[in-house]
Amino acid sequence: MSVPESLRPADRPSLAALFLLCFKVGILSFGGGLSGWLYQEFVLRKELVSDEDFSTSLAISQMLPGANVVNLVICLGEQLRGPLGSIACFTGFLVGPFFAVIGLYKLFDLLAGYELLPVVFNGIAFAAIGLLLLTCIQGSRRAIRFPPAAIVIALTAFLVGVLEWPLIPVVFAIAPFSIALAWKRR
Amino acid sequence: MRDNPLIGLALVFIPFSLTSIGGGAAIIAGLQNETVNVHGWLTQAEFLHLFGVSRAAPGPGTMLATVIGWKVSGWLGALIASLALFLPSSLLCYAVFRLTNTHRDKEWHRAMREGLAPIGTGLIIAGVISLFRVAEGGVLALVIAALSCALLYWKPKMPVVAVLALGGTAAALAHYWPQLTGL
Repeated sequence: MSVPESLRPADRPSLAALFLLCFKVGILSFGGGLSGWLYQEFVLRKELVSDEDFSTSLAISQMLPGANVVNLVICLGEQLRGPLGSIACFTGFLVGPFFAVIGLYKLFDLLAGYELLPVVFNGIAFAAIGLLLLTCIQGSRRAIRFPPAAIVIALTAFLVGVLEWPLIPVVFAIAPFSIALAWKRR
Repeated sequence: MRDNPLIGLALVFIPFSLTSIGGGAAIIAGLQNETVNVHGWLTQAEFLHLFGVSRAAPGPGTMLATVIGWKVSGWLGALIASLALFLPSSLLCYAVFRLTNTHRDKEWHRAMREGLAPIGTGLIIAGVISLFRVAEGGVLALVIAALSCALLYWKPKMPVVAVLALGGTAAALAHYWPQLTGL
């Protein structure tokens, strides 16, 4: 379907730009919506990778061991700037949280008993879930043009999200069918 | 050798790196057992506190490893624990992605991309469902999430940080609402 326009060399971001982009998302990403935020930055705003490349990278990132978002920035970095791009994204993404989590541990000791803090953190996390919702909407919209893909989305979400079946076996069971459908579609 | 806490940290976290399939949540129970029961680095209460801190901090949930390493052995411990948890899985992911992506012009790769993309979307929806379940925020969580989604849908150029800050403010307002209205 979509030819990856994202790989035109002229549009490639510099290593420093990748580092800073991932640093920003890493240090400011509270709650769970990190892949939603990466989608905002890499696909919608900077238009560095296509929507489909992002979703494919995400599926690979989630299947493999490791923090999903860390795997995701490694895939995005490799697509844009090769191994150095992956290193730039990896370090940029993790260096902020590394110091933040230790700093927060010390801060919590100082602010123990201050009841508003966890309330605000929860609110930020809920808003971050909203970013993920938007990613779902965009991905579903693309899938509607090809109904079998919409079924794959619904089935995956239902089995893993609602029934809480383990992710790996579900993905390994659905992937061959989904890929075969895409193969036939040509 | 076995008494060196830095080596101990590496030996505990490297295997977890390669078994944390589906993200950090999968290894929390295992980490608790290793650090509290097996090695006695932390008490049960300390582990829970560190878990809470890592949930409130930015970055992936597995930053729990960083703060455990810091607690056990200072800055060097934090560095060793972080690298031990993040590097092995990252190298594996890089290798797998690289091997498949060099064939992206082939027809099977097109089918793989188009076949995996809806699974990726389905997994995000599943993630949203489980986040709502864990957050236990009830209606407030739904409202804030829906509003932030709608805001970015209609105003795509709005800074993400501003949207998140609004979410935090809304939660604080809702928390103090009974007092503000004089009840």
